[in-house]
Amino acid sequence: MTTGGWISMIFSLTTMIALVTFSFYKVLFDDKGGEG
Amino acid sequence: MTQIKSDHWASKVGVILAVAGSAVGLGNFLRFPGQVAQNGGGVFMIPYFIAFLLIGIPLGWAEWTMGKRGGQAGYNSAPGIMGYIAGLQKRSGKGWRFAGALGVLIPVMVYMYYVLIEGWCLAYAWGYLSGALNLGADANQYTAKSGDFFANITGIASDGDAVSGDNASGLAFWGVVFGLNFFLIYRGLTKGIEAFCKWAIPLMSILALVVLVRVLTLGTPNPDLPDHNVINGLGAMWNPRGTGGGSAFEALLNPQVWLAATGQIFFSLSVGFGVIINYASYLRRKDDVVLSGLTASSTNGFFEVCLGGLITIPAAFIFLGPEAAGQGTFGMGFVALPAVFAHMPAGQIFGFLWFFMLFLAAITSSLSMLQPAIAFLEEGFGLKRPQSVALLSMITLSGSGFILFFSKDLMALDTIDFWVGTFLIFVLGMLQIILFGWVWGAKEGVAYANEGAALKLPKLFIFLMRYVSPAYLLVIFVLWCYKQLPDYAKTMMKGGVPFYSMLFIGACLSALFVSVFIAGKRWDREPPHVPEDVTS
Repeated sequence: MTTGGWISMIFSLTTMIALVTFSFYKVLFDDKGGEG
Repeated sequence: MTQIKSDHWASKVGVILAVAGSAVGLGNFLRFPGQVAQNGGGVFMIPYFIAFLLIGIPLGWAEWTMGKRGGQAGYNSAPGIMGYIAGLQKRSGKGWRFAGALGVLIPVMVYMYYVLIEGWCLAYAWGYLSGALNLGADANQYTAKSGDFFANITGIASDGDAVSGDNASGLAFWGVVFGLNFFLIYRGLTKGIEAFCKWAIPLMSILALVVLVRVLTLGTPNPDLPDHNVINGLGAMWNPRGTGGGSAFEALLNPQVWLAATGQIFFSLSVGFGVIINYASYLRRKDDVVLSGLTASSTNGFFEVCLGGLITIPAAFIFLGPEAAGQGTFGMGFVALPAVFAHMPAGQIFGFLWFFMLFLAAITSSLSMLQPAIAFLEEGFGLKRPQSVALLSMITLSGSGFILFFSKDLMALDTIDFWVGTFLIFVLGMLQIILFGWVWGAKEGVAYANEGAALKLPKLFIFLMRYVSPAYLLVIFVLWCYKQLPDYAKTMMKGGVPFYSMLFIGACLSALFVSVFIAGKRWDREPPHVPEDVTS
């Protein structure tokens, strides 16, 4: 695995994990919008 | 007024999981890794994330917003919603009802072949559990035997094979999953789709994580092949590299890489499919669409990048070598991976977990394909749930039976997947973003999206959804047509099954246009009843 491979993998994984964590956190614990 | 049943989601998490379940499917675990490996490895992720931001998320938000707006007027089907949205700024939006017909046709026709693939997943899971899918002790025969199992289940050798007595197992699993889908749809939105997705998606995550841990702890299973290890397997997926002998930088400038990455985002997120617009119509007025849309899209991305990106290619590389990465979705999923599990310690167990996980991914998607048509039959013709379910089951049974019978080289499946599951999705996606950005107006649409939103869309998105997303999608669509259409058009002109399949698509589309015309007369005469609990 090259340095570029590590960078692309870690960047992709952390971006998606951060996005899904942020959005689910907002939905479950910090939702200022309406509730269905 | 037309009395329609007031149906809406029981919880915000429920609708998010239902939309995410619709989006997460075989493409996340089988198609995505192959696309990355074949299109520059890590380089692929640059256009992938750009397309995610400029097309995937904005188009998803447009669908969520239009769906919710249509739902407030009592419409749940794409023809009704798109006609209503177009009518907000014009004297009449009746022509857009026929564009909305694609939002019924696409999910129904994709269901017809997707349910077959779903049956294969269940057949493989059962094969591991029962021992029927045991590839023996001779490692040199694993791939050949795996191919035989696939041929037996699918009837790929000749037309009619999948329904003959010798291959009855594939037929039986098709029947089981077909019945299960309609049972869940019959139970309704909350008791069927939402309740099922609420446990299926978490279970799917756990199963995928178990298989992921197994793959990442494989180390170097064959000491005679020290290069075939986990780290190099990850490298086969993620290392930036050129395509066609060029450098990694040249791959970044290659239109094919951008086309592949954008196509993957577009098809993976279920945008332009007619499902999100239907699901969002069951929201209440005070419900959020911005955060919900973002959460559903990122859940899909998580399954695709973090699970699909770490399991399939590394596992195939470790046991089958670098050449395994170049296979298509079916070759990778149903021939190469069973050979991988045969090599793996406790492979029978992990094979079962993997294919059961794929089955869950498939059924949460196929369920979503039925609801848009159920909504159309009920609001367009005033049918009750038992009648709409019975009618749709007969329609999809005949179509699925057609694809099941013409199984040689999966020609009918491939033809319908191309024209409906690819070409028409692009067309509907284009129409929807034009409807949102230009006919309704991006400014009005974004303002409506921000009503009750837990996250507010910045004004930048007005510009993005009016100019950037449509232009980007149009360029990709034209490039895609230039590259793909001639070959498929030539194949169709030769006659035989591809031609019959096109006739079948044309007949379905014509019947749907007539149905939309009749339903439109009904809506003009008696606008849908707007239940109070939806507008509150």
